[in-house]
Amino acid sequence: MNLMQTPVSDTTALKPRITASGVQVYYDTNHALKDVSVNILDRTTTAFIGPSGCGKSTFLRCLNRMNDTVASARVEGKILLDGQDIYDKRVDPVQLRARIGMVFQKPNPFPKSIYDNVAYGPRIHGLARNKAELDEIVETSLRRAALWNEVKDRLSAPGTGLSGGQQQRLCIARAVATGPEVLLMDEPCSALDPIATAQVEALIDELREQYSVVIVTHSMQQAARVSQKTAFFHLGNLVEYGDTQQIFTNPQDPRTESYITGRIG
Amino acid sequence: MSIALLTLIILGLSALGYLLGRQRALAAVEGDARKLHSLPSYYGASVFLFTALPAFLTLLVWLIAQPLLIERSVAGMITPADIPAGTTLSLVMSDVQRIAVGTEQLVADGMSETELAALQADPAGLRSALGRLGVSVAETTTPNVLEAAKAYRASASLGHFGMIVAALALAVAGLLISAFRVTPELRARNIVESFIRVLLIGASTVAILTTLGIVFSLVFESWHFFQLYPAKDFFFSLTWNPKFGGGSSLGVWPLVWGTLYVSFVALVIAVPLGILSAIYLSEYASPTVRSVAKPLLEILAGIPSIVYGLFALVTVGPLLRDWLAMPLGLGASSSSVATAGLVMGIMLIPYVSSLSDDIINSVPQSLRDGSYAIGATPSETVRQVVLPAALPGIVGAVLLAASRAIGETMIVVMGAGAAAKLSMNPFEAMTTVTVKIVSQLTGDTEFASPETLVAFALGLTLFVFTLGLNILALFIVRKYREQYE
Amino acid sequence: MTEISQQAEPPVKSLFESDLRTRRRNAAETRFRLYGMAAVAMGIFALIFLLVSVLGNGVSSFRQTSIELQVTLDEAVLDKTGSRDPEVMKKVTTIGYGKILDQALADTLAAHDIDVSALTPKQLSGMKSDEAPRRLRDLVLADPSLVGQTITFHALATSRIDGFEKGRVTMESAKLDSNISVEQLEVAQAMKDKGLLSMPFNWGFFTSADASELRPEAAGVGVAMLGSLYMMLIVLVLSLPIGVAASIYLEELAPQNRWTDIIEVNIANLAAVPAIVYGILALALFINFLGLPQSAPMVGGLVLTLMTLPTIIIATRAALKAVPPSIRDAALGVGASRMQTIFHHVLPLAMPGILTGTILGLARALGESAPLLLIGMVAFVKDYPSAPPAGLMEPASALPVQVYQWTQRADPAFVERASGAIIVLLVFLVAMNATAILLRRRFERRW
Repeated sequence: MNLMQTPVSDTTALKPRITASGVQVYYDTNHALKDVSVNILDRTTTAFIGPSGCGKSTFLRCLNRMNDTVASARVEGKILLDGQDIYDKRVDPVQLRARIGMVFQKPNPFPKSIYDNVAYGPRIHGLARNKAELDEIVETSLRRAALWNEVKDRLSAPGTGLSGGQQQRLCIARAVATGPEVLLMDEPCSALDPIATAQVEALIDELREQYSVVIVTHSMQQAARVSQKTAFFHLGNLVEYGDTQQIFTNPQDPRTESYITGRIG
Repeated sequence: MSIALLTLIILGLSALGYLLGRQRALAAVEGDARKLHSLPSYYGASVFLFTALPAFLTLLVWLIAQPLLIERSVAGMITPADIPAGTTLSLVMSDVQRIAVGTEQLVADGMSETELAALQADPAGLRSALGRLGVSVAETTTPNVLEAAKAYRASASLGHFGMIVAALALAVAGLLISAFRVTPELRARNIVESFIRVLLIGASTVAILTTLGIVFSLVFESWHFFQLYPAKDFFFSLTWNPKFGGGSSLGVWPLVWGTLYVSFVALVIAVPLGILSAIYLSEYASPTVRSVAKPLLEILAGIPSIVYGLFALVTVGPLLRDWLAMPLGLGASSSSVATAGLVMGIMLIPYVSSLSDDIINSVPQSLRDGSYAIGATPSETVRQVVLPAALPGIVGAVLLAASRAIGETMIVVMGAGAAAKLSMNPFEAMTTVTVKIVSQLTGDTEFASPETLVAFALGLTLFVFTLGLNILALFIVRKYREQYE
Repeated sequence: MTEISQQAEPPVKSLFESDLRTRRRNAAETRFRLYGMAAVAMGIFALIFLLVSVLGNGVSSFRQTSIELQVTLDEAVLDKTGSRDPEVMKKVTTIGYGKILDQALADTLAAHDIDVSALTPKQLSGMKSDEAPRRLRDLVLADPSLVGQTITFHALATSRIDGFEKGRVTMESAKLDSNISVEQLEVAQAMKDKGLLSMPFNWGFFTSADASELRPEAAGVGVAMLGSLYMMLIVLVLSLPIGVAASIYLEELAPQNRWTDIIEVNIANLAAVPAIVYGILALALFINFLGLPQSAPMVGGLVLTLMTLPTIIIATRAALKAVPPSIRDAALGVGASRMQTIFHHVLPLAMPGILTGTILGLARALGESAPLLLIGMVAFVKDYPSAPPAGLMEPASALPVQVYQWTQRADPAFVERASGAIIVLLVFLVAMNATAILLRRRFERRW
């Protein structure tokens, strides 16, 4: 795949889903994220790129308040989902996370059956009125994650028995099952082989039809392949944010250029 | 010559060997230690070891074997007629031994051998002479027994002499041979290190020997017991009623029932409290709370069981009786299954919580993240993701606690009571396997009656049961650890 | 597909309002957290209740009521020959001293205008401990020149008077008690009002041996402490070298084979064998087979050694494992042999960890009682064992067993003694554990 063949879509018509302004994150005294402002658009894949420790994962974890589970983390600034501040006192992170799903770097299926892995979210959020509806949700989610055909005959087998790529798609199905509006993916392919990576990337492109997808990646090629918007982070700063094609062909900031051409990283 | 003096002499010889070996090594290279294979002290040490070890080993073996051999040969002199009704050969043999030791003492106090011989011809005189030393000899003692004592003493002094000669000869031989072998090329360090290695291996087999000792003593004495008492009655009878006059019924079931009932009550208290504490401390508590509460709970595991026993006896027992059992009309006994179970439950909390805490902490964080990211609350995450993942390990922890409960002695001795009963009422006094082991084996123990020997069969039952639980628990925990490593 | 996702959408879209289900889930969350908190709190409460109950019952045993008497040591009774020779004076038994004390008691009470007409002479004599004449006799025999003088002597009061002072015995309970009468207590009250009763620190509790069923006021933990000390010495001397040697072999030298596996599984299992089973082993092996004496600290020490070994081996192996391989490589690299590497470098570095483990193992052994019951340490031991090594074979008691023995006596005054002995035991345990923690803090090394 070559950068010039990246599908170009017009993103100007889409409305922003998440609006972040002036976000600061501290871990104890360490200032991990400095004054980040960004708009995540609806039905778009947004890639966060940058060298290790640049703050891209930290920022991702702010978007569904996963940083709450880290005792030392402190978040300042405003992050609005559909115009509502997700760090408002009245917001229940439990409800928030049902609307903003997340997929992790390493596949982390629960030590339960494939079915129970996917049904977990709908069950705790009470999304199904009966068994038939739950079955339906599980099937839809597995289909959406392009896993249904591979596992439909062994839904009661443990999820941990699947291959790495299948496990990651199972985790995606699990995230999709709660019907989120935004899907956050933290280096979802870093533990996968090239074939599994290609499958997941194809899946991301499909998911973009319904959700707003945010993906953190180390691989610039991957960012170029799957995303329409790209944000480049460096040392806790958001250096540059724009259309993927523009970032990769005509970066505005010299630091972006250095990173893309491989001089820093 | 006493053993202590002999030991000193051998040690002296060995020290001499050390100096000699070192000196010979240095002399062989004219004082230039660089030409030696090992440091000079290793040459000394090798001679030391060759002098001391064979002699001491012989001494040790001799000391253990001699009484057994003599006893066996002398026992042949006792005829069935010499054994009074109601006693056994072993009791008569201990008389023989006492008389032999007593006569030895007479000689040590200055009696000549001729005087002694005269005395031995006169049983009454011997009896009074021994009586003055505090060795009482029964009137019924037969001449055969006195003869046996004489033979015993003779063999013992012969054996003692033989032992001294053998040990000293070995020490001197070892000293001479090894000192003679010292040359600059001798790999003295390797020799010394091999000795140390053997010593280390020997130390590590102590564990095996202990297990063998436990198994043999239990099996051997239990086998004794089943010679005297039918195994069928032990394993299938439902009554426990030992009578020291004979005609006891020694069915194990009332004791097993009491044991299991007390352990069950203890686990009903310890398991929920332990697991909930572990969950709270590992998933919810702030580091400060955790650093205070966790050691406090662990103190419970460090308190000796006698303290819990006293707590049961003095505080918990009367409390339960006055506030629960009496008002409910369930009994008026302060020692009861509930008392022992409650106190044991408190003791077991840290056993469950510490291990569960470790196991919950070893569940990977990524699973929790996965659950939180879907929007699960912490309690949903714990109950539906963390606990199922940690379940095998927690089961292992509970099994270990169960094995502790079954083997616990002091709490039940002081809190559960002594009546062997098959009852469902938790406020009634019941008894357990361990209580009966203690009660059958304390006081005057005479190893001939089934009422005493039954304790070994009970011990064997207990050992097999707890060992099974332990092996199962360790297996489960180990399997579980592998899963996340 | 679309219907499902529409169904799946939560009814409330605003983030600021939580729906009913979420509120219920959050309530469940709060409840669950409370359960956890309650569990921890109950555990800690049990600990505090346990300690308070033991301390509450036992602290009073550290003070003992005694009666202040002016005793005239009558020469005519105590030393008829007038020689002041202790050997001759030994002929006068405690009965003679008892009479002198009875006289002194009657005189002292009369001097303070306390009416004793309600008491029979036997009851009056029963106010003091049976132990008091013996103490007076020891005092006089140690210093014969006291004969003929009038001295102030603090006679131990009987346990019921002591209990009355401490609030354990009341007028009501005395009515049901054959060992004390209400009249005696009334006299005791009068004596107290006149300042004749005092409650000094009970040194005797730490120095005396056990006492018979009838005089709990004289019972002490001296012999038990000494017996425990002897056993701990044996455990230390045996289990430390054997444990360290076994650990060195298993951790540093042993090849990974079936034999090593067997040993390791064995050690893990031994650590979980019930204590009482070790007692059976000791009875069968040491006493029946090897013929060692019952009640001897030697046997107790041996069985506790076997019990402590697994703990020490496990701790020592952990300490050895914590020494990084680079240290071994460095020593081997300069040409040291394996043994030299271990004994010159690895072992010294692991020593703090080994000592910590050993102290903790000793603390566990100190509190152990079940196996000691089976080897006859429950026997009533009145005399101190002599100094080691001979004393190791003489009958002795041990602290935890002494506690057990006292709880088996009918007189409730022994419960106070038992709790007091527990406090002594716990003080030793706390001291040992604190030492272990300090040692760990002081020498802990992070690689």
